[in-house]
Formats: sequence, structure tokens, C-alpha cells
Amino acid sequence: MFRAFPTLLRIGFAEAVAYRAELVIWVLTATAPLISMFIWDRVAEEGPLGGWGQGEMARYFLLTLIVRHLTSAWVVWELNENIRTGGLSPMLLRPMHPLVFFVAQNLSAMPLRAVILAPLIVGVLWWRPELVWTPEPWTLLLGLVSAVFAWAIAFAAQVIFGSLAFFSQQSLGLFNVYFGLWSLGSGYLFPLELAPDWLRQLLLWLPFRATLATPVELLAGLVAWEDALGLVAAQVVWAVVFVGLAAMTWNLGVRRHEAVGA
Amino acid sequence: MSLGVSIAALMRASLLTTMRYRASFFGEVAMAVAWAFWTTVPLFVVFDQAPTLAGWTTEEALAVVGFFIIAQGVLEALVDPNLRAVVEHVRQGTFDFVLLKPIDAQLYVSLHRTEPLKLVHCVVGAGVVAYAAKAVDAGPVELLSATLLMFAGLTLLHSLWTVVVSSAFFFVKVDNLSWLIRAGLDAGRWPVSLYRGFVRFVLTFVLPIGLVTTYPALALRGELKPSTGLGAMVIAVLFAGVARIAWTQSLRRYSSASS
Repeated sequence: MFRAFPTLLRIGFAEAVAYRAELVIWVLTATAPLISMFIWDRVAEEGPLGGWGQGEMARYFLLTLIVRHLTSAWVVWELNENIRTGGLSPMLLRPMHPLVFFVAQNLSAMPLRAVILAPLIVGVLWWRPELVWTPEPWTLLLGLVSAVFAWAIAFAAQVIFGSLAFFSQQSLGLFNVYFGLWSLGSGYLFPLELAPDWLRQLLLWLPFRATLATPVELLAGLVAWEDALGLVAAQVVWAVVFVGLAAMTWNLGVRRHEAVGA
Repeated sequence: MSLGVSIAALMRASLLTTMRYRASFFGEVAMAVAWAFWTTVPLFVVFDQAPTLAGWTTEEALAVVGFFIIAQGVLEALVDPNLRAVVEHVRQGTFDFVLLKPIDAQLYVSLHRTEPLKLVHCVVGAGVVAYAAKAVDAGPVELLSATLLMFAGLTLLHSLWTVVVSSAFFFVKVDNLSWLIRAGLDAGRWPVSLYRGFVRFVLTFVLPIGLVTTYPALALRGELKPSTGLGAMVIAVLFAGVARIAWTQSLRRYSSASS
């Protein structure tokens, strides 16, 4: 499996390049953080909110856009499609786990996604140069580690909902419900720090924050040292829970799988 | 065959298709309510921090969200499914059958795949607007002008889609483009006056979602100048004309699947 992985990455990259126009469109459809950025910029214009001025707002939402795209997964659609059409059967015959293939496919599209995002990033920097900051080494390092965990949780969550296609026709609908809650609870549409108190308290106990807001706030240098460790620890816990659930739904699902010829 | 009869027939066909899946109705109602909730939460978070923003209070901005939900409902029920089917027709060659029918092709494709169930979203959106209208004390004149402007905005939306779909005759695969435009239209959940400069220009004139959601809300507040309102309606009619021209011109370029 480890010998095959570089080849898988190459295939994934070639695939991403082949469908580059489509990738551009998918990247551009997930630009909601930019809209939020304009709105919150306007709110911060009247005066800083809890230490967040226009610079911090722009920094937060720019990082949200970047982290969202570089930790994103789409395995839920791939799984759904392949389970329904029987495309999964040949994958199961390969001498490697199908999910390894999806991991490689997912990771290898990241460089191209970064290239597509570059003009947007330059545009925002040009619009609000005051967002630039000098990150402390420890927040940067911890932020990057946290981004890896964020990706792992997001990927595992999609494997869970994707594997539900083994059991139900409605699995994509369920995923959409999850996505709706995620976009409200993860800091994607508004900074959790600025949410009303009761909502913030509630979100501390939910997994959404660990998939986006934690790495973003760390990278932006908006978290104190003593809070940072707690947030990353929560990510580790959620990663274990989600990967465990994903393995469980996948294993239960594959056993039920009755595609053509299986 | 008169126009009314054909429209009624197309609508009946759509309704019959929908009624085969009666259980979906309750699912759709639940989704519509959840979606309205999802759309309004960011608004409440923003207005929790700033009681008024660029002259908008929470209730007034809520009217914008209401019109936004209605617009999304119309988009999903009427505009998007119908016009996206055109792309499919062109790709598979079945568009020839559309052209053979003794009815105006634009009218036919605008109605033939309607999903009446999605209109539930419009009902929920209308509820949000009604709540906002009560909060801002809108009179009958305001309500009437807001409704007129809403229809002008929806005409605009439909025209925009028609232009995009017309390009399917040249580029074939444009259904992803409709997702891109929808992402842009998402900006319409906020009053357009919250945006600045270039973004505001785009949202007013290029992707005119500002006209669809903000102008009716302004009319509801009684703060839209009659000249502006009239201007918006003229623009809507102009856009519809442009869409008609784009459609007929592209149709002329269509070289059928079999020839």
C-alpha cells in the first residue's frame, strides 16, 4: 500500500488537472466566507468588536476560505455515486482499501486548489492590506497540526455519511442537513467568538468547531496559549470518535453491499 | 391553441408528477422550515453585535431574508429545474422534440419541468416577509409596491437564467455555471447597501440580486422612491427582452441532433 500511494497521488493530480475548469467552478461556489467578510467588515467599521477590527475580520475570513479549501473533502459524493452505480465493486477487488484511494484523490487535488485560490487571496490582500500579521511560531505550528486534524475529521464525517448510502437512498439528504449545521457551527459563516453567548457555549460541545474554526483562529493568532491546547485536545478526541464511527459504518455497510456481480 | 390552455396543461402535468410522491411533501415542509432557520441565524448574529447597520434594523433586514427565501424557492421550483433540463436536451439530442411541438419553445422549456413542491419555500419566505411587514408597520400601498417589485425581480432572475442557458447551444455543458451563479446570488440575503463599491455595483447591475431582495424590502419600509421602483420594473422588462433575443438568436445557431 505504501508503494502504491505515490502513484495514486500522481493519478489524483492528473485527474484534477484534467478537470481543472470544473475544479475552478467548485472552488468558486464555496466562497461564502467572502460574502461574510464584506458584511462583518461593515459591522467592524463602526468600531472594533471585542478586539476585532476590520483587519482581524479580513484575516479571519481569508483564513477561513483557505483552510476550508485546503481541508475539504468530497468523498461523500464519490462514495454515494460508486455505491449506487456499482463502481465500488472493482475497487473492492483491488489489493488495497478503497478509502486509501479516496484519501489520495483528495490530497492530490490540494495543490491545484491552492493555485485557484491564489488570485482571490491576492485580491483580498490588496483590498485590506491591514490584515497582514506576524504569526508567532508556536501558533503557526499548532495551527498547521490542527488543520491536519480538521481535515481528518471532515474526511471521516464524509465517509460516515457516504457509507450510509449502503443502507439508505437518502444519505445525501442527511449529509446536507449535517452540512447546514456545520456551516452555522464551524465558524464558516460568522466568527464563533462573536456569536451570542448561549450559542457559543453550545458550540463548544459540538464537533463542528474542530473542523474549521480551531485551525483558523490558531493561524490568525486570535487564541491565547492556554485555550489553544484545550481546543487542539478537543480536535484529537473528535478525530478519534469520527474515525471510529467511519470505520464502523464502512465495515457494516460493505457487509451488506450487494452490487451487480458482488 | 391558446396560451392559457398550454400553460395550464404544463402546470397540471408537473403537479401530477409531484403528487406521485406524496410523502415527500412533509419532508419538503420540514426542509423549508429548517432552511429558513439556517438562513436567518447569521442575520441574528450580525444584528446582535450591531443593532442597526447602514440604516437597517433587524426586522427590516429580516424582510430582505424573506424575499431571498422566496426568490430561492422560485429558483428551485420554476427557474432552475426547467432551464437546466434544456442543457440536458441539447446534450442528448432530445431538444429536437421540443422544437417540434406546436408551442413557443421558450414558454415550453420554462415550464415543462416545474417542481411545485419547492414552492413550499415561497410560503415560508412569505411568512418571514409578513412578520417583517407587521414589524415595520407596512400599509397596503407599501405591500402592493413590494409585491410588484418582487415580481419584477423574479422576472429578472428568470431572464438571467435564460441567457445563461442560451449559451448551452454554444458551449453545451453549462449546468455547473448555474451553481456558480447561485453562489453569487447567495449575497442577496443581505441588504445590498451593506456592500461597498465594486461588489455593490455587481450585485445591483450584473447579478442583480439586490433588485430581487433589497428593493422589495425598501418598498416595504416605504423608503423606495417611486422613480427608483419604476426604474427597477423597466430594467426587468428590458432584461426579459434581452433574454428573448438571446434565446431566439441561439436557437438559430442550433443545428439539431440529426442533421
